[in-house]
Amino acid sequence: MREQVVMVGDELPLVGVLSEPEADNNSAPRVAVVLLNSGVIHRVGSCRLSVTLARSLCEKAGLTTFRFDFSGIGDSDARRGTLTAAQAAVDEVQEVMDYLSDWKQFDRYILYGLCSGAFASYRTALNDSRVMATVQLDGYCYMTWKSYALYYGPRLLSFSRWGHFVLRKLGLRKQKKGVEVSGIEERYFEVPGFAGYPPRDEVRDGLQKLNDRGLQMLYVFFGNEYYVYQNQFEDCFKPVAFGDNLTVIHRPYATHILSEPEDRASVVESITHWAQELVRQPNR
Amino acid sequence: MEAFYFGPSESYLFGAFHPRQGVNRNEAVVLCYPFGQEYMRAHKSVRRLAINLSSLGYPVLRFDYRGTGDSAGNMDQVSADHWIEDIGHAIQEVMDMAAVSQVALVGLRLGSLLAAQAAARNSAVSRLVLWDPVTDGGGYVADIRNAIAAAEGEGSRSRIITSDGALHFNGFSMPVPFQDTLSALRLEDIAPALNVSVAQIVSHENDEFASLRDRLASRRDFHYELAPAPHNWNYVDHVGGILWPKPVIDAIEQYFAEAHLQHKESSCVNR
Repeated sequence: MREQVVMVGDELPLVGVLSEPEADNNSAPRVAVVLLNSGVIHRVGSCRLSVTLARSLCEKAGLTTFRFDFSGIGDSDARRGTLTAAQAAVDEVQEVMDYLSDWKQFDRYILYGLCSGAFASYRTALNDSRVMATVQLDGYCYMTWKSYALYYGPRLLSFSRWGHFVLRKLGLRKQKKGVEVSGIEERYFEVPGFAGYPPRDEVRDGLQKLNDRGLQMLYVFFGNEYYVYQNQFEDCFKPVAFGDNLTVIHRPYATHILSEPEDRASVVESITHWAQELVRQPNR
Repeated sequence: MEAFYFGPSESYLFGAFHPRQGVNRNEAVVLCYPFGQEYMRAHKSVRRLAINLSSLGYPVLRFDYRGTGDSAGNMDQVSADHWIEDIGHAIQEVMDMAAVSQVALVGLRLGSLLAAQAAARNSAVSRLVLWDPVTDGGGYVADIRNAIAAAEGEGSRSRIITSDGALHFNGFSMPVPFQDTLSALRLEDIAPALNVSVAQIVSHENDEFASLRDRLASRRDFHYELAPAPHNWNYVDHVGGILWPKPVIDAIEQYFAEAHLQHKESSCVNR
């Protein structure tokens, strides 16, 4: 594997690292994996996940990878403009793909992201047919009747939770919010300003389009109140018939930032294996 | 800013170089990150400090130690001595890039302790800035070990000790060779070997900082400053929130700005 630092763009460039496999280990010379930021975490990723994954994809699956910082995050300077962060993210991923296509002649891309990075990969895929696959960790998904029942059912039967509920209603117990949770004043603490989720129907229509196009989708969901059972994604976006285009992995005991070493290793291995199989298919 | 890889090919290091703006000074600055989740939370602050110091005329290099960030490898078999070696590579790199003969080291938390050891070994180091320093490597390892023991009792899967003895703390691992070599480092043992100006700039007060200040106070070129700011570098939330202790960043910038003025004044006197 060979790594080099790359600056994309002349003014206020986007800073990234390209990891290339050895020539005799390059399984898909025209495919690159682009790894996107999660929230305000710089391009190495939560608990260094993006670096670990990029190197695993490169060394084990024989794929070139590029991890970079969106403008205003990590080492990339902020750019002025009127676009929202969500819109600018799509533009910047396309700018990176244009750059890599010109330089290295890639014509197909796999986009990877966790949380806001997953959302950006989904939106970019909708806008750019060069995207052949997305890997989304805790991407868009919504509650279903079954997930409501599985999540809230046990809570409705819990005396202690009812007790807390009553105490909160009586003003005797306060639920911590925002700054109170961290104990750090807002001016000294930066967290991502997430835009709200789009309506479920909008995402379902988007996924239908992507599915019709044959986009390969790997979704990984961790343990949280919004995703509680293996098939929730498919139930949520019915009637989209994903068939072989979709793979869903559910790691219910992993946290959103994947700080557990065992889960992190397992997720990296699963994604690497999935990508390896994807580029092995003769029509890819 | 210019970003690149440097150092030995088997343990290449990611570097971000901020060229000096305006004034041409014969002193560069190397910034030394802390460990683990603290590194993640400090990245933005350290970058901002680099930008601010470069605008004062100091060429600045910040870099990732081996096994961290975008640098080569993982933490397996990495020791604290390797990281001190990496600081040495960074000192040489910035001297070559900026064509300067002196380098100031600024270390945050664990980066302070390692920078102090690097300063004691390297005659090119002109100044040492200790930002909320870890004063005792063994104590730091013990604190992590105690936090893990407490969390393991509550069933934590992210704060654990694996069978090889590695500490896993908030998503980052510290292998046994690192624990052992780090445990041998104490600022009070290193201090007598430091022939450079030392500044201790802290966001809060505690017994360790006070003890270090008292020990260093007799030095001719010692500067101490309290710049109250949040300092919970190991607070972990589910969205990767970033700590932004601006008062300390400003205080370090001010320290370098004043040193710059003193240098100019003494230059005037000399003329």
